[in-house]
Amino acid sequence: MDEILRLSHISKTFPGVRALQDISFDLKRGEVHCLCGENGAGKSTLIKILSGAIQPDEDGQIFVDGNAVTLTPSTALRMGIHTIYQEHIVFNALNITENIFAGAEIARHGLLQRKEMRRQTENVLSYLKSDLTPDMRMTDLTSGQQKIVEIAKALVSKSNVIILDEPTASFSSREIDTVLNIVKTVKSDGIGVIYISHHLDEVFEIGDRATVLRDGRKVSMYPIAGLTKTTLIKDMVGRDPSTFYKRERVERGETVLQVKNVSGKGVRDVSFELHRGEVLGFAGMVGSGRSELMEVLFGGAPLVYGEIAINGRSVRHASPRSAIQNKMCFITESRQTTGLFLPKTIAENVAVANMVNTRQFIMRPANDLLIGEKFVKLLNIKAPSARTRVVNLSGGNQQKVVLGKWFNTGGEIYIFDEPSLGIDVGSKQEIYKVMVDLLKEDKAILMVSSDMPEVISMSDRVIVFKQGQIAGELSGEEITEENILTLSIGDRQE
Amino acid sequence: MSKPEVPNTTLQVKESLFKRYENLTVLSIFVSFVVIVVVVQLISTGGSRFPTFISPVNIVNILQQVAVPGIVAISMTMVMVSGGIDLSVGMLASLVSIIVALGISQWRLGVGPSVLVGVASAIVLETAMGFIISRTRIEPFIITLGGMISFQGIALLLSNSREVVMKGELNFLTMNLVEGARDPVTGLILRVPPYVVAFFVIALIGGLLLTYTKYGRRIYAVGTNPRAAFLAGIDVRNVRLSVYMIQGLLVGVGATMLLARINTGIITLGQGLEIDTIAMVVIGGTALSGGKGNIVGTLIGVFFLGSIANAMNLLRLPSEVQFLAKGLVVIIAVSAGDVSSQISEFRGLRREQAKARSAAATAKKGGP
Repeated sequence: MDEILRLSHISKTFPGVRALQDISFDLKRGEVHCLCGENGAGKSTLIKILSGAIQPDEDGQIFVDGNAVTLTPSTALRMGIHTIYQEHIVFNALNITENIFAGAEIARHGLLQRKEMRRQTENVLSYLKSDLTPDMRMTDLTSGQQKIVEIAKALVSKSNVIILDEPTASFSSREIDTVLNIVKTVKSDGIGVIYISHHLDEVFEIGDRATVLRDGRKVSMYPIAGLTKTTLIKDMVGRDPSTFYKRERVERGETVLQVKNVSGKGVRDVSFELHRGEVLGFAGMVGSGRSELMEVLFGGAPLVYGEIAINGRSVRHASPRSAIQNKMCFITESRQTTGLFLPKTIAENVAVANMVNTRQFIMRPANDLLIGEKFVKLLNIKAPSARTRVVNLSGGNQQKVVLGKWFNTGGEIYIFDEPSLGIDVGSKQEIYKVMVDLLKEDKAILMVSSDMPEVISMSDRVIVFKQGQIAGELSGEEITEENILTLSIGDRQE
Repeated sequence: MSKPEVPNTTLQVKESLFKRYENLTVLSIFVSFVVIVVVVQLISTGGSRFPTFISPVNIVNILQQVAVPGIVAISMTMVMVSGGIDLSVGMLASLVSIIVALGISQWRLGVGPSVLVGVASAIVLETAMGFIISRTRIEPFIITLGGMISFQGIALLLSNSREVVMKGELNFLTMNLVEGARDPVTGLILRVPPYVVAFFVIALIGGLLLTYTKYGRRIYAVGTNPRAAFLAGIDVRNVRLSVYMIQGLLVGVGATMLLARINTGIITLGQGLEIDTIAMVVIGGTALSGGKGNIVGTLIGVFFLGSIANAMNLLRLPSEVQFLAKGLVVIIAVSAGDVSSQISEFRGLRREQAKARSAAATAKKGGP
């Protein structure tokens, strides 16, 4: 087998973060090389470098067919490196042929050669043993079928390397089998495949070699033959727990939230209890349905089935409005798109959620400003005054404004979805401290987090989520990286 | 707490005066426009006479011209701050004028009930559009475009494509509130009809509503970030619906005022009203994308656009040129804000570069 792609000593530094450090990696013709690692291990950064979307630091080199190259999105495509991202990038209104040839239409004298394009599409689809036809519209396809079209597009453009980033996330098991079979076909044709998946059994089914990344470094590289899942998981974890944030423990109080058999979009049959004075962590892979569950609990998405009780009283949240009235707070994952009103001031942002709880119709900006200043001080928000527009603040300070918005409502049940995503270490610790302070005031916290150290250091109990369901619950000493990872990426569920 | 202390100001956010007070840009353009007109007038008369453009009688004149579009511009500001738009106001105004005129002169409903029916139908029609806009994901542009065309149809059907003439039953709306007052400069009679007063009252209420009430806050929140607004417990759909209802009320009121001036219900009455009001609102700094804008800005826009036509008449420019000038003013006024923010961004970038360069230089010196 000859080599088509080699990375040697690749690093990537973002301002303040070392995303990749000294990564070497190679890919041969006709092999499937899997990339394994937790959320944030550096897999996505590596892919972006390969697709030319970002440039690595200067000290490393990339070789394609033995020649040193610089990759940009267009040169990567020209050299036959085709990346298929997790999110579908398709033109929904067009049919399969038009999608496959979008941007690379076959034309003679400026006229489209429809028949030729259709013929080639037909060929590639039958080669992939797919029952799709060239004239089907993308909107009518399932996400699994759309993935097949994207692979077909890579084949038509004569790719040597196909990179698949989580191709099976959120697929049914039959669709997963179809995609895996197609990968096998592609591989037998001499194309190199880089395969990223959170499902270890897929890695074992189609992989030839596996490279494990952790915190931006390459930990190990194994041939799949003779490898065990335990070894892989051991390599993926292995941080020193003594370096984690040390949190003060608070005595656990009575039950404040009961969730029974809750189902909704992306969530199936979830039951748990939350007590005052505890942090219940939700671990799992990105896209496992944790945020969706929180949306359902908060009334942001419909509750299809099940029961939610707060302080022993059954509640129905038709909208976030009633959830807020029931003293729930939702610090969403993406503060910029769902948490904040960026062009508005700190004071206006802090005032907005509490409008549900107040009766008066008149809003006095001076009054809001006082409340805003109070939270600027309380949360140590680094801004000249509460008149500062939120858009001008750093990520950590924006997150504190979101907290201020919810503290202002006097809530008791706090949902933190990725509380420290994209904020600096200092603000992170401040936010952890604020969370512990909440517990001391007898409040309760649900915390969704994909940051392993965060889950382990902050949670009293951890629920591991997988494909919209609870895969297991851990508490006390059981909360280790290894246990969490085993539950979240172990065996595929039907 | 009379003086809240400012803690820990490590991050100094500097904003230019023009960025902090968005209306300043347009206001300064407006003021320079007025100055230019005055100077041109002074030059052409040899400086011997007081410039007519800023004489009280002319200002009152301008106010009469802009009062009705101004009233509609207030509710248009609310609609646009909430992230919507309404193209139907012109045709809706024509329709209301025809309904009121028919009610008075043909259906013999009496003046009060006819006006009520007219205003009520405007509210009902706007509510219908607002309902579709707030309950679906269809663009307000399309819905209100459809509304505009249908209202034209209804108006033509009701009036049999003819004008409906009245006998001055609504004259009480055009009477002079300052009977006998004269311009101290020119000596001409001053006229301040009720609808000019109504315009100011409505603008005041609209401004207070947007700035000092929970409802106003919600409109801004919905326009800035509907998803975040929803998750903060705001009933996004009903806020969207309500701004169109207010729009209906004010179009109804405005159309009645227009009818009183013309005394004839006719399909061309509201023609171009949507263009004028949207232009006024946009000149005033309200963004089509929503969440940004205020009544003060809209007032500047109203007076600005209203005085252009007037000034060009005084300067004896042909009416054909006026369209061109109006259009250019809209483009210039709206781009001014963006251009100034791009300039400040560019300056900020330059500063950053200089800082980085000096930091790199010191690092090199300090290094081994």
